Amino acid sequence: MSADYKPVSWTRSKAVYDSVMLVGIVLYLLAFLWIGPRLQSVTLPPDAPTMAMKAYGSCAFLMLTLVLCIGPLARLDTRFLPLLYNRRHLGVMTCAVAAGHLFAVLDWHFAYSPTPPLAALLGADTAFIPFGIFAFLVLLAMACTSHDFWLVFLGPPVWKALHMAVYAAYAAVVVHIGFGALQDARNPTLAIVVMLCTATVCALHLAAARREHRRDTSLATPAPEPPWLVAGRADDIAENRAIVVRPADGEAVAIFRHQGRLSAVSHVCAHQNGPLGEGRVVDGCITCPWHGYQYRLEDGTSPPPFTERIATYRLRLDGRLVLLDPRPNPPGTPVPPLELPA
Amino acid sequence: MSDDNFFIGWARRVPSGLAGFLAGVAFGLPVMAGVLALALSASIDDPGGGAFDWDAGEQTLRGIITPLPYPLLHLAPSVRHPAGHTVLLSGIGKNGADVDAALAGRMVEATGVMLKRGSIDMMQLGDDPGLRAAPGEAALPAPVQLGRWRLVGEICDGKCWTGAMRPGSGIAHQACAELCLAGGLPPVLVTTSPVEGSTFLLLADADGGPMPAALRPLVGARLVLEGAVERRGDLLVLRLAPAGVHPL
Repeated sequence: MSADYKPVSWTRSKAVYDSVMLVGIVLYLLAFLWIGPRLQSVTLPPDAPTMAMKAYGSCAFLMLTLVLCIGPLARLDTRFLPLLYNRRHLGVMTCAVAAGHLFAVLDWHFAYSPTPPLAALLGADTAFIPFGIFAFLVLLAMACTSHDFWLVFLGPPVWKALHMAVYAAYAAVVVHIGFGALQDARNPTLAIVVMLCTATVCALHLAAARREHRRDTSLATPAPEPPWLVAGRADDIAENRAIVVRPADGEAVAIFRHQGRLSAVSHVCAHQNGPLGEGRVVDGCITCPWHGYQYRLEDGTSPPPFTERIATYRLRLDGRLVLLDPRPNPPGTPVPPLELPA
Repeated sequence: MSDDNFFIGWARRVPSGLAGFLAGVAFGLPVMAGVLALALSASIDDPGGGAFDWDAGEQTLRGIITPLPYPLLHLAPSVRHPAGHTVLLSGIGKNGADVDAALAGRMVEATGVMLKRGSIDMMQLGDDPGLRAAPGEAALPAPVQLGRWRLVGEICDGKCWTGAMRPGSGIAHQACAELCLAGGLPPVLVTTSPVEGSTFLLLADADGGPMPAALRPLVGARLVLEGAVERRGDLLVLRLAPAGVHPL
């Protein structure tokens, strides 16, 4: 969390994350450009610019595959959540590597001609190039709007929708490779890698979606007195954790237990729509599992100097059953936590 | 997820329950990246043996120049080429050779850097000047008609295929090849099976002029081409029949 805008709010985790990714990129490029050619069975090796195109292009594709796998992996196994934390930096690095591919192409296939390279690229009469250009423009737009300033400026729903275009970009990249490099390839390795990557992305998303679907369809049952809903048994809520209640209408609600009291807030984080109900209470504040955004239990407001706010809800007890009023209060509305009897 | 495993990005320490897992990921991802890079790099297809002969530096050849369908330099018979040798000419970059019309059919000296692929030679002319009239006379090799052929192959730009780029053919190289052909470099047909011992034919239109520009977008694709084949020196030329090119 940050109370003002900085180019990067560095934390130790971000530094380690970026270092690992940079080491991975450097290792990939070194292995591709330096060691790999020694293992090639060729009359003469491919020229250096062509190798650079292939190295940067394949690296960007694999990085984009990783970017897309992190989300569903984190949904299926929370140990992967740390990879989600700084995924935007990985996305920006992916765009930079893709730019390396683009510049290598411009500087070789579209150079040494009276036609300016960019004009030649845009005027190229090939099936696969437009897909590559589209994918790069999406990655560029995402990288340029990756900062939290744009998240606040555009609002989480619009920002999130914009960044969902990464799926269209990935599909375009697969088509770009399929209609381009794979048309010429006689060795099946590239085709196998592309198919495995695409299948992994699809399978992980289907598995995560199936899991989410099972959760989303388990709706809370109405209590005898409308509009109250039966949220569950108070004893089933672990200390400092939450249960998630899904009304038939409206957003899911997270009910947290902390020091013998219950508080209900929106399940959706104001930052990037993270699943707050899967977070926990840290230092007396609800803490989002995605990026660590925090909210006070009593009013759904981030502690000063932060200003994020989420909707709060009313709770009451019926014996050991917790009842929830599913009508959200305006974000930041104080609601006294519900005391549980000893 | 136990409380010990709850990760907060801004926290000073990684939860103890996650440290081992994250260390494995931090080690495994770069290793996996390296292995994939090796697999992809080592499996790259053979781009052929064409290359610039930079080691030999600029060379000067003497022969008769003909401008159509594309500038060719016909060398006199020699020990190495008893029937004479035909050298393709190019300018620098994606530009065709600039031949003064007054030199057509005359003996010239050509200076430039050679590109070689198998028995095919191309000279990239220098600009100091690359071509100049030379004394002496020699007879042009008479074209030998080899009949009408239907061939399967790929149209490439002669310079990249001869070794200016490796690989210099295929769909991935299509846009580059189109720029080369638009710049006046000679289009060639690389066939799937040999014609009179060669898989390399210079392309011309039915009248012996440059290949129709409308065929440039077909570069890189597998095609069926029909036309008359003739031998000029040791170079085969395919004079394409009208409407004689079809996708395979």
